[in-house]
Amino acid sequence: MNRSLFRYIWRHSKRDQLLIFAVVLASLPFYYMSLDLPRRIVNEAIQGRAFEQGRQTAKFLDIGFSLPSWLGGHRFQFFEGIDVGRLHLLFGLSFLFLFFVLINGGFKYWINVSKGALGERMLRRMRFELFSLALRFTPETLRTVKSSEAATIIKDEVEPIGGFIGDAFVQPMFLGTQAATALLFILMQSVWLGLTAAAVVGVQFIIIPRMRRELLRLGRMRQIASRRLAGRVSEVIDGMEAVHVHNTARWERAEIAHRLYELFDIRFRIYKRKFIVKFLNNLLAQLTPFFFYAFGGYFALQGRLDIGQLVAVIAAYRELPPPLKELIDWDQQRLDVQVKYDQVVAYFSAEKLLPEHADDHTGEDVELVGALEVKDLSINDPHGGILISRASLHLDLPAHVALTAESGAAASMFARLIARRPIEFSGEVQISGRDLSDLPASVVGRRIAYAGVEPILFPGSIRDNILYGLRQQPLTEAEKGELDRRRRFEAGRTGNPSDSIEVEWIDLQRAGFGTREELDERIIQLLGRMGLVDDLYRFGLGGAIDPESHPDLAERLLEARGRFHERLSGEGLSELVEFFDPERYNLHATVAENLLFGVPTSQSLMGRALVGDLHFRQALDRADLSADLVRMGARIAETMVDIFRGLPLGHPLFDQFSFVHADELGEFEAILKRLGKSGRAGETVEDRERLLALTLPYIEPRHRLGLLDEGMIERLLAGRVQVREIFGRHGRDDIRFYEPDTLNPAATDRDNLLFGRVNERVADARERVRLIGAEIIDEMALRGGIERVGLDHQVGPAGRLLTSPQRAGVNLLRCLVKKPDILVVDGALAPFGEGRIGAVLDIVLEETRERTLLAVLSNAQRSEHFDAVIQFRGGAADVNVAAARAAGQPEELPQAAAE
Amino acid sequence: MTIDTEVQSLRQVPMFRDIDPSRLKLLAFTSERIHFAKGQRFFSQGDAADAAYVILEGCAEVLLETPSGPVKVAELGRNALLGEMGILSDSPRSATILASEPTSALRIDKRVFLELLSQFPQMSIAVMRELASRLERMNAQVLARAPEPA
Repeated sequence: MNRSLFRYIWRHSKRDQLLIFAVVLASLPFYYMSLDLPRRIVNEAIQGRAFEQGRQTAKFLDIGFSLPSWLGGHRFQFFEGIDVGRLHLLFGLSFLFLFFVLINGGFKYWINVSKGALGERMLRRMRFELFSLALRFTPETLRTVKSSEAATIIKDEVEPIGGFIGDAFVQPMFLGTQAATALLFILMQSVWLGLTAAAVVGVQFIIIPRMRRELLRLGRMRQIASRRLAGRVSEVIDGMEAVHVHNTARWERAEIAHRLYELFDIRFRIYKRKFIVKFLNNLLAQLTPFFFYAFGGYFALQGRLDIGQLVAVIAAYRELPPPLKELIDWDQQRLDVQVKYDQVVAYFSAEKLLPEHADDHTGEDVELVGALEVKDLSINDPHGGILISRASLHLDLPAHVALTAESGAAASMFARLIARRPIEFSGEVQISGRDLSDLPASVVGRRIAYAGVEPILFPGSIRDNILYGLRQQPLTEAEKGELDRRRRFEAGRTGNPSDSIEVEWIDLQRAGFGTREELDERIIQLLGRMGLVDDLYRFGLGGAIDPESHPDLAERLLEARGRFHERLSGEGLSELVEFFDPERYNLHATVAENLLFGVPTSQSLMGRALVGDLHFRQALDRADLSADLVRMGARIAETMVDIFRGLPLGHPLFDQFSFVHADELGEFEAILKRLGKSGRAGETVEDRERLLALTLPYIEPRHRLGLLDEGMIERLLAGRVQVREIFGRHGRDDIRFYEPDTLNPAATDRDNLLFGRVNERVADARERVRLIGAEIIDEMALRGGIERVGLDHQVGPAGRLLTSPQRAGVNLLRCLVKKPDILVVDGALAPFGEGRIGAVLDIVLEETRERTLLAVLSNAQRSEHFDAVIQFRGGAADVNVAAARAAGQPEELPQAAAE
Repeated sequence: MTIDTEVQSLRQVPMFRDIDPSRLKLLAFTSERIHFAKGQRFFSQGDAADAAYVILEGCAEVLLETPSGPVKVAELGRNALLGEMGILSDSPRSATILASEPTSALRIDKRVFLELLSQFPQMSIAVMRELASRLERMNAQVLARAPEPA
């Protein structure tokens, strides 16, 4: 990015800036006309000057202009105009005024939209460029860069820059010409007064920016301080566990409070400075009229200036400050934005970045087989300790190679080096005659996979994460629609790539599969062998089938539901589950579930937020339920206050059992008091809402407060009908209602199978239902389908919703499915635990048959499965082929020897 | 049947007799109401002790598993507290209990129960008093059965 903001803006938006400027100029005559017309309406039409000397008609719409007298005074006439009467002239001129007002509005609209679009496009370009730069951060930079700071820069700090860009050139030119005209006018009336005005303006332009320098310094400090604050907040949130474990919340609070104080202090100083500058500015602006009145009056009294001129000068001077003030504001903004821009550019300075790879798109592909030749390889650790010193070795790939080290990180470093992770080394590493460091990134990405200790997962489903490595380039063309055309057009104008994310990116062919289904099956199989099949099944039961994309699975699940219900009633176990029935209240479901009788898909219909939903409340009112529910809520609150009083705040029993959070107990006590004191009138609307919300999670058989009698149940059912009707009438699509004999696409597989609620009152009901369900799923061979749904399970930010072995499984599979020529496994097996490592290693070995595997092993125990073992000892690398498959088939032995 | 009737039942249990009604309500509220069919087990001898039960309706029999098969040693009726020794002493179940007719009971979770004991000394004292009086009774029984000194 360019060092100077203006040069950067100019380079990328020259054409748009000029176009806008041209339009601004073109709009000026129309603007002038709309200012001039009121005068003509008053003078000519209303006061009738056009009809002096007994004329009955006047010219309307005579279009032409006269040259000034010093150019000969010739008049050019374009249109003679038409003769109209007085009333017609009035209306004609009035409509003409309206016409110009509209035209001006149009111009203004166009200019604003263009300026906005210009700014937004530049903003997009800048954000994208910064993101691209961030992708090129060097490893050293990545160690110190805080992700949240970079995010703040890309998201927030460039925002005001974008807002400024539209005005960057147009505003000063526009305002400058206005101010200059006014000044020129004053000068023409009286040179002395003009010079006075010019002098004051000059002082304003010299002193104010100087005073603002301090302001800029403070602005820079503020930007850095607030960026650090953002970084610190996200650090604390990411490290919340440590904060809780060591109970350091007090320290963290103090730390943040200190930062906030500093931030306040800087901002306060900025305010003080800013307003003193403003004060001075205003003073200088007011000083000029003082000169005009005093000295202008003096000249007038002496007769060197006539009164008319003085009045005109003062009038013209009134025109001067607004553009001047705006110009100074613009200047302030410019400096502000320039500071921000400088800071941003400094953050992404060249020394923090890797060189740009020009060869990324060459499409060159090299198969990484043949001789792996290492000569005089030396690697030091970051502190200068020797890990590998002048080691040489030769191996024929493909081969399965175990890397072990006596101590230290030598094996891991070597593995990272082969995976082309950024490592500083000296010596030569060649694969099939090509220097490893010369391989283009595209080949590395395709041919080498690296599974490190820390699985890096992105938010998305398990499947998305596993297929991440197959997502290297778009494989199909986007549909040539209007939307796509516009998308491409915008991308082109802002230096963004035109790749669409809507098209297919997953390279199935590389994974060796024809369809997504086959690939899914293989993934499930491998995850299963890693011991994760139960997890996947559980995820699947908690996930939802999309009936549109898997109609067959949906149908079979529906069939399974039928069979499940039959089985229960056949075995006399109907009491285990109360099924959903549109006509009946489900006692084992919550009040909210019964009222909605469907699955909400938006947060606004979930939990307590439901009471805030307008349509829901409308339905309750229609069914005369509101008052009843408020009363019921009051009873619940009463009981909660009664039985939970005396428990200390934060006691685990609160969270587990109470309808009310510990810190709300007091509030509800107050609400109840208001309710008791003055009857209905004492409570506020908010009170009623909060009480109503308490009833939503109520389940009579579980909570046993005896609040649901027959009448109430009737009314709740009426409420259900109303909800359905009102939601339907308003076309709400954020809820999917339960329908017997159809699959609810928003409900989980478990709920779709059960289509009811387990009766928790029966001993062991949940476990028995689970077993019967599993039986039926197996009978109908649905397990595979459900496991596929499990692949849609969301992994959460950084995979935090998964356990460590699950994350490791996803990480390893991601490397396996892209079928690399060389798979480097460096610590990725550890999370599986000693018990499972053997099985997982077998899978890895099997999946990399005929290809190269480099696995870092903590000890030589498992190395018998490998073709060769490279042992790093005291800086040297010993290649031991004998250990590998000692009794195996000799013809498979690769040619490997220590040199 | 609501929580209030359960509180009435809990009051009949000697161990809970002297506890505040609002605490008993909390105990009832944090417990689950569970129905056992005839012949269904509350728990089996040797299971980990995870809960105590108060029989609200119906009755249950206590079986000792012996090498020669289960032997019925006692019958428990309404308002009986069972399984409490296991959760207090943290030992596995010493006997099997099954419903001898359709029975409904209040299941008091071990964790919740201990939580309540540690929170409310009054409850702990009530439990201690009950245990002490059981010990006393047992001593008296032992004494009564002991052979008269010659």
